[in-house]
Amino acid sequence: MPCERKPMRYGHSEGHTDVCFDDSGKFLVTCGSDGDVRIWESLEDDDPKSISVGEKAYSLALKRGKLVTAASNNTVQIHTFPDGDPDGILTRFTTHATHVCFNASGSRVAAGSSDFMVKVVEVADSSQQKTFRGHDAPVLSVTFDPKDEFLASASCDGSVVVWNIEEQTQITSWPLLQKSNDVSNAKSLCRLAWQPGSAKFLAIPVETKVLLYERDTWSHVSTLTDDLITQPINVVAWSQCGKFLAAGSVGGLLTVWDVETKLCLERQKHEKGFTVCGLAWHPSGNQLAYTDTEGCLGMLDGLSPSTAGTTKATQAAPSEAKEYDDLFDDDDDDRVLDEGASDTRSPSKNARVAGAGEDEDDDLMPATGRVRNRAAFLEDDNSRDAGSLKLGVDEFAEDDDAGSTTAPLSAQAAPPRPLYHGPMPTPPQKAFQPGSTPAHLMHRFMMWNSVGIVRGYNDDQDNAIDVEFHDTSVHHAIHLTNSLGHSVVDLSQEAVLLACPGTEELASKLQCLHFASWDTNKEWLVDLPLGEDVRAVCLGQGWAAAATSAQLLRLFSIGGVQRELLSLPGAVVCMAAHGEQLLLAYHRGTGFDGEQALGVQLLQLGLRKRQVIHGEPLPLSRRSHLSWLGFTAEGTPCYTDSEGVVRLLNRSLGNTWVPVCNTRDSCKGKSDHYWVVGVHEHPQQLRCIPCKGSRFPPTLPRPAVAVLPFKLPLCQTATEKGLMEEQYWRSALLHNHYDFLSSSGYEVDEEGQSQSQKEQQELLMKMFALSCKLDREVRCVELAELMTQSVVTLAIRYASRSRRMALAQRLSELALEKANQLQGEEPEEEEEEQYSSARRNSGRRQGEQSSSRHHSTRETQEEEEEEEEEEEEEESQDGQMDTEEAAGNRRQGLNPFAKGATLSPEKPSLNPVSKEGRVNPFKVSGAGKSPGSSGQPRVTSILDSMSSSSRKPSPLLGSGGKQGRTTVLKPLAPRAKTKTQSTLLHMTAPKAANKKSLEEKEPAVDRLRKPEAPPPASPENVENNKPKTGFQLWLEENRKSILAERPDLEETGVIKEAMGRFRTLSADDRTSWTERAKGQCGEAVEQKKRKREEEERRAEGNTQNEAEEEEGSAKKKKSSDPSAKLSAFAFNKN
Amino acid sequence: MDPSEVEFLAEREIVKIIPNFSLDKIYLIGGDLGPFNPGMPVDVPLWLALNLKQRQKCRIVPPEWMDVDKLEEIRELERKEDAFTPVPSPYYMELTKLLLNHASDNIPKADDIRTLVKDIWDTRIAKLRLSADSFISQQEAHAKLDSLTLMEINTTRSFLLESLNCMYKLRSNLQPHSSRGKALDY
Repeated sequence: MPCERKPMRYGHSEGHTDVCFDDSGKFLVTCGSDGDVRIWESLEDDDPKSISVGEKAYSLALKRGKLVTAASNNTVQIHTFPDGDPDGILTRFTTHATHVCFNASGSRVAAGSSDFMVKVVEVADSSQQKTFRGHDAPVLSVTFDPKDEFLASASCDGSVVVWNIEEQTQITSWPLLQKSNDVSNAKSLCRLAWQPGSAKFLAIPVETKVLLYERDTWSHVSTLTDDLITQPINVVAWSQCGKFLAAGSVGGLLTVWDVETKLCLERQKHEKGFTVCGLAWHPSGNQLAYTDTEGCLGMLDGLSPSTAGTTKATQAAPSEAKEYDDLFDDDDDDRVLDEGASDTRSPSKNARVAGAGEDEDDDLMPATGRVRNRAAFLEDDNSRDAGSLKLGVDEFAEDDDAGSTTAPLSAQAAPPRPLYHGPMPTPPQKAFQPGSTPAHLMHRFMMWNSVGIVRGYNDDQDNAIDVEFHDTSVHHAIHLTNSLGHSVVDLSQEAVLLACPGTEELASKLQCLHFASWDTNKEWLVDLPLGEDVRAVCLGQGWAAAATSAQLLRLFSIGGVQRELLSLPGAVVCMAAHGEQLLLAYHRGTGFDGEQALGVQLLQLGLRKRQVIHGEPLPLSRRSHLSWLGFTAEGTPCYTDSEGVVRLLNRSLGNTWVPVCNTRDSCKGKSDHYWVVGVHEHPQQLRCIPCKGSRFPPTLPRPAVAVLPFKLPLCQTATEKGLMEEQYWRSALLHNHYDFLSSSGYEVDEEGQSQSQKEQQELLMKMFALSCKLDREVRCVELAELMTQSVVTLAIRYASRSRRMALAQRLSELALEKANQLQGEEPEEEEEEQYSSARRNSGRRQGEQSSSRHHSTRETQEEEEEEEEEEEEEESQDGQMDTEEAAGNRRQGLNPFAKGATLSPEKPSLNPVSKEGRVNPFKVSGAGKSPGSSGQPRVTSILDSMSSSSRKPSPLLGSGGKQGRTTVLKPLAPRAKTKTQSTLLHMTAPKAANKKSLEEKEPAVDRLRKPEAPPPASPENVENNKPKTGFQLWLEENRKSILAERPDLEETGVIKEAMGRFRTLSADDRTSWTERAKGQCGEAVEQKKRKREEEERRAEGNTQNEAEEEEGSAKKKKSSDPSAKLSAFAFNKN
Repeated sequence: MDPSEVEFLAEREIVKIIPNFSLDKIYLIGGDLGPFNPGMPVDVPLWLALNLKQRQKCRIVPPEWMDVDKLEEIRELERKEDAFTPVPSPYYMELTKLLLNHASDNIPKADDIRTLVKDIWDTRIAKLRLSADSFISQQEAHAKLDSLTLMEINTTRSFLLESLNCMYKLRSNLQPHSSRGKALDY
């Protein structure tokens, strides 16, 4: 049986303390820096008697009803004990005394002081004093020889001196300690102790050891040490029998040795690790009281029976082996049970020599004690998490379901069998609304999501709910009086859904404010069956869901029609909705030891209703609970646990969960948290509110949203390799939503998609180059396997250039394989968006063909009219774009998620504005142009937007064709995005845009070559967003020379001339140009294809007509458009 | 320079706003602004922030230093030091004035902040007057004053220069006269 460490309790204010027992052991006496002496009847004494002795009390000693204290008024006082009446002043110093002690008989008191002196005073007659001078620094401690012959003292000058009391002379002096200038600076208090009884040894704590010096010879005879002691020992104390020595150290470690065997019997760590500065044995020897520098009082009980004499010690030896075994058993139990709360390590316990019978008696006691501790620990845990656990559903706690939540609690509170050692069940997490703060708060956020904020006030004068929208164009702010006592709320672009728990008479209600409704009834209310309470609600697009205490999920349409009903496998924790998806977390079972056992379901409630995730376990960090659940703006399920780990669903790996960010990494303080309010995949943003010192934000002052980046917890992200790997996998993971969106009929932001693909391929190429540099050829091949075919060709070139033929060989095999695979897939993937090379063959062509039909009639006109025609075409394009936009608007009407202006009434009015607004005179690209070329900026912007907007319909048509034009949903990405990107191009690649504007006019020839051109992307073009053909590249380089030779040519003439020249180039040269261009030929190509047939014809005729054309153009130059020339110069400048 | 001109310059300072509308990036001569997402903080120049605020299109997030504790600290330091202490923003006075006049509902403890900034301003202006005084009385040729803001310089510039000119004239008139007097004495 190990000794029991009793819980600490506060005795004094912070600062130095001292402790002793009275002679009978009935009282425990402490003093502290608050100047009080407290007399405790026991450790559990709730009302100890206090005697004030001064401003501060430094030390005390107690014997024969006399209490001697060293107080801050430089005196050593006597009080009677236990009455505590002052009994005079014993002696004075010039500064305060540091330590006082009685001799064995209690007739004398020794006191050491900061004024370097030690005095010995007769208690009966304080005039009889002996002063010992000799120390050169404040005295740390004093102790009497039990035989009253000698006195030992330790001082800050580093010496420990033994004095002869009668002769007042130094007998010996050891320079053992570290020097310091004051008691407060001394590393150790160095409380000496003389062995009682035989008075054979003087124990001196030196650093981490206790040295024993022998009386009379004054030689160092032995040392008591222990490996666990790492910090200086402050105090030592002998047990009354003189057999055991206890020591307390700075780090709070208490050690007990058997002096004869020098065995360490007991090691106990202070529960908070505070420095022990007072130590006293109970006269019986089985208790050890200690105090620390924080004013706490503690006790070790059951150390050794007072009778542990030499006779018993002999018995101890044989039983020792057996005890070791017992001990280890005990220890194991300790670990499991105490969960690290106790550091009890007892290698040997002679303390328990008393016999096995006693052991068994005692065994029960600590066991129950520990269970009690455990319960306390768990309760503690609960109270800590209560705030976040109690979200939302506090109100429901009284009804039947509360049974399930309280059951495990009661199981803990009243341990049915005190000897149950197994894991303890965790109280199940209560239901909550993601994005709300705890329900018990008077002012709280009831919902904070991407749409807006709902605040609830529940104070004396007001019970109200405020709804505020981030985007005021969705709806103006709403103020509701909360007469029903709503406690759960959800908010979407269409409606506010509120629910209140039922009372005894009233049923639980679900209220919906459908503010987007087009009729006059904006509100509906539904009563749930009696006894059924709403636990969680959520709003999808066109539907609402409520999970109830009857473990039912009730679906409603947004207008209030009851829809499907389904039973849940467990009590709901929370729900989230996005579009037609519903994500639901519930209790799968009971968790143990702080874990929650949660399950998750993902339902698709659109036209094709299905269950995507069938109630699989929801992975959480150890001992954490769910704290937020939702979808990213793009529709990927996502959640956060209380440890701050954000996990995202990986749809490409069988719906597994990937940790994408740990918000705790970004926290500055230990108690700071981030309160997640939203996740965006493109751009990669984790929107959350930093909360200082809490888990959730207060409503006032209004918190500001911060943005955290994602970071996959890959290994070695400090290295370049790790960094790139992390970037690649993050990009790949967050790319998944494009596939999901396109597969479920949403519109996809292709710009972003191709960008992220390009980024991934670039990263792969970089990693490839890095591994090449490191001679990791196997790794190179592995990386190449992840690449697309086009990038593999690049890799092959890289490998061959860096003279790695074996690698290049393998790679080319790989490339061949990939090409074969691609060909195999192609016919099947007509509708699918695939990686860059495959994209060419995708179903988008459909859309282009239809639009090309549109224009074909006009395109057959004469070449002279080409200029105007081009304009016209662009205008019609523009018109077409507008209709598309309008169509987009109509579609958006269906989709309230399309962020921003989608729902706003402003949108239609914005449209015409945007048409002209596109021409921004301040745009950087525009600045490069001459003001005379009025059409030019417009053309550019139109072309830019064309490339982005005309791309839009293609997947729509594709998917629309597939699904029979049923629901074509817009993505949840903002509608405006495409516009941004088109304009962004102006900023990032104004050069490209400029060129485009010129070259658009004669793109036909290039188109001829493009299909022949191999797809691989060249590295130098990667940064250019605009696709270009080999001819265009060639033209860029050669335009100047053409212009120099034929300055008379106008724009079209130049291009024709250039075309002629380009054709005369050798086939090799041409292919090299097209290869250079291949990276850019991505998207812009497709829309141009519509012109192809006609252009082909024209190009064919081109060579024959060239001669006459040149003549003709010479005439034409007179009427040439100056703006074209100017822009040509502008271009050249670039 | 006119105070209004300094204020105009101050309007180029960047502040954080939380818009309640959605708008793409806007491209201006001075640089690109946005994109504006409802509920997401974004950095814009003060003039735009005030304009949007007046149209109730945003909430302004007060600058970090516009906080009672921080300003108190600055004020104490300013009072303690003899020299000018660095100010939190080169346009602290203008920013405070504009923000408090137009967006005091977005700034917690607006009145306290107004008082504190005024205190700081007063302390600094007093120092400035004092140093101008000692500059003139000691007839120094030059003096160095660090961490003065544009607005502070402007409060004293015109008057100080004028008066220095004036004094120079007076002194230079005095000099010939006295020398002449001396010459006469001889």
